[in-house]
Amino acid sequence: MKINELNKKKIPLVKINKDLNKYKGKVLFEKKLEKANKLLERAKLPSELIINKG
Amino acid sequence: MKFKKYEYTADDELHFYEFKSIGIKGEIKKVVEYSKMNIEEYYNLAFGDFDEKKNEINDKVVTNNGDSLKVLATVASTVYAFTGKYPDAKIFATGSTEVRTRLYRMGITNNLVEIQEDFDVYGMKLNDTFEEFIAGEDYIGFLITRKKK
Repeated sequence: MKINELNKKKIPLVKINKDLNKYKGKVLFEKKLEKANKLLERAKLPSELIINKG
Repeated sequence: MKFKKYEYTADDELHFYEFKSIGIKGEIKKVVEYSKMNIEEYYNLAFGDFDEKKNEINDKVVTNNGDSLKVLATVASTVYAFTGKYPDAKIFATGSTEVRTRLYRMGITNNLVEIQEDFDVYGMKLNDTFEEFIAGEDYIGFLITRKKK
């Protein structure tokens, strides 16, 4: 890929930092995740975003 | 995004991101996390300061480092990175406090035109329903999905 094409890309090139693998399997923002799950539990989701497993 | 952003690094599955906010209070390490929610394909977006002294994350602190727009633009950039790898992900975000939820709303509003080129954005209203995001409306949470092209 040419540099000018690369600069136009919105998806960023991400530098991987192996040190961050230490977080794998952990939830750093536990209370916030709990709050988010509670909010979505009672929410009426947009119909187009409900996964139809049928 | 029209705002400058910080360089960041990520774990190899792109669920965790780290960057340094540099401002009037010095350097503050920030962490962004996408965690799986109870609903399939839904992820919770959370970010906050990493307290190096206590070795813990704080998502309630108001940092006031004078760079909130740059921080939000950086977090928004991680949404591009994350959905680049997980294009079907539905990302939910809510602030740990009302102030932070308003900060998220401001971040979306400031970049709405550009965000909507690539994402569908919804706001969760007080009555627990979602609508297409409208600038200026009050929301308790936000849902973002990548547009299918």
